[in-house]
Amino acid sequence: MALPAWVWFLCFFTLPVLWIVYYSFGYKPDIYHPIATDKLSLGSYHEAFSRAFVHVFSQTLQISIIGTSLCLLIAFPFAYWLATRVSPRWRGVLLGLVVVPFFVNFLIRTVGWLILLSPAGPVSSLLQRWGLRSEPLHLLQTRGAVQLGVVYNYLALMILPLFVTLDRLDPAMREASKDLGANRVKTFRQITLPLAAPGIVAGLLLVFIPLTGDYITALVLGGAKGNMAGVVVASQFTIAQDWALGAAQAVILIAMIMGTVAVFGLFAIAIRAIVRVSRRITLPPVAEEAV
Amino acid sequence: MSAVEAGRKGRRRDLADVGLRSWAILVYVFLFLPILVIVVYSFNNGRAMITWNGVGLNGYRTGLTDPTIQDAVKTSIVAAVGTAVMATILGSFAGIALARRKGKWTILFLALVFLILVTPEIVEAIALLLWYVRLGGPFGPHTPIPGISYGMVRLWVGHSLFATAVVTLIVRARLQGLDETLEEAAADLYATPARRFRQITLPLMLPAVLAGALLAFSFSLDDTIISSFVSVAGASPWPVYVFSAVRNALRPEVASVSTLLLTLTLIAIASVALVLRRSGQSSKDVAKTMTVGG
Repeated sequence: MALPAWVWFLCFFTLPVLWIVYYSFGYKPDIYHPIATDKLSLGSYHEAFSRAFVHVFSQTLQISIIGTSLCLLIAFPFAYWLATRVSPRWRGVLLGLVVVPFFVNFLIRTVGWLILLSPAGPVSSLLQRWGLRSEPLHLLQTRGAVQLGVVYNYLALMILPLFVTLDRLDPAMREASKDLGANRVKTFRQITLPLAAPGIVAGLLLVFIPLTGDYITALVLGGAKGNMAGVVVASQFTIAQDWALGAAQAVILIAMIMGTVAVFGLFAIAIRAIVRVSRRITLPPVAEEAV
Repeated sequence: MSAVEAGRKGRRRDLADVGLRSWAILVYVFLFLPILVIVVYSFNNGRAMITWNGVGLNGYRTGLTDPTIQDAVKTSIVAAVGTAVMATILGSFAGIALARRKGKWTILFLALVFLILVTPEIVEAIALLLWYVRLGGPFGPHTPIPGISYGMVRLWVGHSLFATAVVTLIVRARLQGLDETLEEAAADLYATPARRFRQITLPLMLPAVLAGALLAFSFSLDDTIISSFVSVAGASPWPVYVFSAVRNALRPEVASVSTLLLTLTLIAIASVALVLRRSGQSSKDVAKTMTVGG
């Protein structure tokens, strides 16, 4: 029964992506042709590791690591509040409210920030009217604007898995911990946090992966200073017409995402091993995380 | 515990409550701020969206009458309906197979689904464009399927990849959480496989299928990256129109049409939520089913 989906994925995902990998070994013969594959070489990868591109890739990695951490810091207290302090009657409605902005077009949400941050926009004019600033604000086309935009655009992907795990957590566990004399900090560190770990891991992955490959936020809110790898890869196809270089950069981008996820996975396994050894009690396994 | 100590603990608890609640309010303000801005600026009477020039309905008037915008919205809706149908059928069957007929291919298929979900959309978009150009056939201008624009076929196929992966995971998660003995009992009572599917499996997996279809629909409506690479003139959806407006000139009608679309989306979500609620789920379950499919 999975056969149609198999065929679908192989024809329109696996083969096109392999085709890109094949192109990445090609070269650009002259200004009139975007690609030639009669001689295969690693030339494009050589070019892709030149200084300008390495800078964009490292900037992308910085933006996505900072952005993912900010999402976690913003989302955790929020999800904790929603799961533990809100009455079950209201929980569904308030969770629905989190999802509403998520159903607004990604691009339109980003345009909302474009208006907010623009020199003629509301923030800038209010600050000027109140006499807090004498000239218009110049927030667009900066790395800060891109950083803000990506945190906003991917925040819901962090809130949802965190909420699901925290919501499944039996309040009796926390009460038992307090009855046994643990203070709030200790209860949080030894009960809540370990049990929420699957949700945290899911949230980090759900945010980090699309954030690193982001194209729209960086294109709309960032200029040269807020450039990200996705924009550079696309420009090889839309502007420069150097498909071999663009393909090589695309392959590097995928490798970068998977590499970071792998490093993070090893790190998480190591932490878990350390915690297991240092903790005397074993907690019952939590149900499999969502998504 | 002395009374003083208990009082101090209680006060500290209140402080934590107030802190958490204020944080939550801030998060909601942050989440809705840009949406509110779009709604407010949809009533901007000026020619440029960002420069405020009095309240009025000019944006709505232009937005509802401009033929380019009408075509773009129509393309978006047709693309989203097609994507939802394709992804729901492909994904539901794949989800059933993964949950009920586990084999050596299951892991491989899940790996492929995972790969689709982690590949940056921009890479998928470029790969698909080059692949379509190479394939030609129904994806090119020379031998299209009669009656269907090749641009629309490109959009359907492009959008359905990610959407199918999502529907597969949702249906699989739902079926795995359900007791298989119900189906076995039906079989013991001499129900044919077709009847078993229609009377037991289908009603049980329906919330997940519905949620998956809704997500596939909204993913297609939302998609900008794949659309802007693979779409062709005459069949370019609404986000691609907005995208070119962002690069050239942003006018208030972009905000007006977006506000109308948002209202429609909210009505759609609310009706699905209502249907799920009628089928006996609590409001929290409804929200969960619709967002993560669990």
